[in-house]
Amino acid sequence: MLQVTGLSGGYPPVSVFRDVDLTVGEDEAVGLFGPNGHGKSTLLSTVAGLLDPWRGEIRFDGRRLNAPGDMPARLSRHVNYDLFRPRRMRARHAVRAGLIYVMQGNRLFPEMTVDEVLGIAPKAAMGRAGVGEMYDLAHDLFPVLRRRRRSKIRYLSGGERQMVSIAVALLAVPRLLILDEPTLGLAPRLRLELAEAVGRIREAGTPLVLVDQNIEFLTGLVDRLHLFVNGTIAAEIDRTERPSHESIMTLMFGGAAR
Amino acid sequence: MTFETFQFILASGLILGGLYALMAIGLSVVWTTLDVFNFAHGAFVALGAYIAWQVAQYGEGLWGFVFAAGVSVGLMFVLGFILHFCLIKPFEKRPNIVLLAVITTLAASVVIESLIQLVWGPREKQISPAVSGRIEVFGTGFVANDVVALAVALAALAALALFLRRTGTGRAMRAAAQNREAAEAMGFNVTVLYATALGIAAAAAALAGVFIGSLRFINPSFGADPLMKSLIVVIFGGVAKFTSPIYAAFILGVVEAFSIYFLGLYWSPAVLFGLMVVVLLVKPEGLFGHRRKTL
Repeated sequence: MLQVTGLSGGYPPVSVFRDVDLTVGEDEAVGLFGPNGHGKSTLLSTVAGLLDPWRGEIRFDGRRLNAPGDMPARLSRHVNYDLFRPRRMRARHAVRAGLIYVMQGNRLFPEMTVDEVLGIAPKAAMGRAGVGEMYDLAHDLFPVLRRRRRSKIRYLSGGERQMVSIAVALLAVPRLLILDEPTLGLAPRLRLELAEAVGRIREAGTPLVLVDQNIEFLTGLVDRLHLFVNGTIAAEIDRTERPSHESIMTLMFGGAAR
Repeated sequence: MTFETFQFILASGLILGGLYALMAIGLSVVWTTLDVFNFAHGAFVALGAYIAWQVAQYGEGLWGFVFAAGVSVGLMFVLGFILHFCLIKPFEKRPNIVLLAVITTLAASVVIESLIQLVWGPREKQISPAVSGRIEVFGTGFVANDVVALAVALAALAALALFLRRTGTGRAMRAAAQNREAAEAMGFNVTVLYATALGIAAAAAALAGVFIGSLRFINPSFGADPLMKSLIVVIFGGVAKFTSPIYAAFILGVVEAFSIYFLGLYWSPAVLFGLMVVVLLVKPEGLFGHRRKTL
């Protein structure tokens, strides 16, 4: 379904990730696990089209989402390249294809009410059928949506805001849902609640890409698990035998950690 | 001062306030959405007035006026929409976009003023009022055109508020203003929404310009005064809510009317600026402002 080959990118001129290959099949959940600040979120933002990829390919359903060829170098610092170089990928094309991205720690729209935000979310479905079922699913998963429907996003707690973010993504009728650290900074009880919600989204048949720093959270939910270190996918972790702390450290830092 | 004079001054203050609100709301929509200050706003007001004047040459009376105002508002919306791609979009990713936008919009205002001078010449013009004569409201006689101007200004503001709160596009515009990245991730075409915001600002400016043109004389550079006034209004009132600059506009309109009566035309800008400075000293976010700014 999603095929990422040789993808490199970052915030020009800083390269953040290099030569990433990632495939997600139909009805598959793939996990990315790795330490802070190694480029997981930058990679996912790029796959979602918020940032321009530098090199490589992003294919969804076999259709290429980014412009062919490499991003040309910016030769001079004194030229406004934005003036004549079009974007190499657009978020709305990814959304139209059904690739929906839930940002890490999404602030959403602080001055809009929950109802207003959920009201504009189905626009992202771009005509895909199933908004109604997703609406029911979202409200079923997160009863808080109905309870706080008139509250501005600004007044929600971090967990509630995360739930609204996921609900917004669900209303887009995702064909592939990318969740970037959905449990970041949440209390253990909320973490469990969200893990359960993600599990049910998975059961409903939505392919997932799931990022987290908590390996227990991931192993319970995904079919395949990749280790993402230093801006690239370093290894596949066998999720049937839960890796020990030692072995994770070795994978991340090589022999030096011992 | 008799009660009648008081009423008269208050009424003219409210009419001024209505026009200022209409002009300031354009400025504040652009400021909250695009995060830049549009110094071409005054030129938009002037160009809107001139377009309406031109169209009004082909029709007389109320319907001529309505048609002229409609054409002017529509054309200015399109112009504002297009200008976003020339003045602001190319610099979006620059860290110094605020400064760049000041320069590009100032440049645009100079170009627009010169174009007006080229096309219509430097002589003063007046749009014939929508309605003539006087009407009675609450037992007092008013110039009918003033009342129409105030009513239309209020109706336009209400329509804009409804558009932003109730319609999908309006809500998407607010979303894009509050968190651009999240709006993009939801599949909205943020560039088009931003351009629409500038278009709406230009259309509101044009509507204000049409009425100013029917109340006073217009010349190619008359946009400078509305720009300054809406600047004061926006700074004085803040942009925390859609309504903040509107309240501020009415307060300043009434203050201006009274200061013209008591201190004379010459001193009224000084009074307004003085008031703005006092508000800035005491409450830097503006009278109705908070630290955040939204639509």
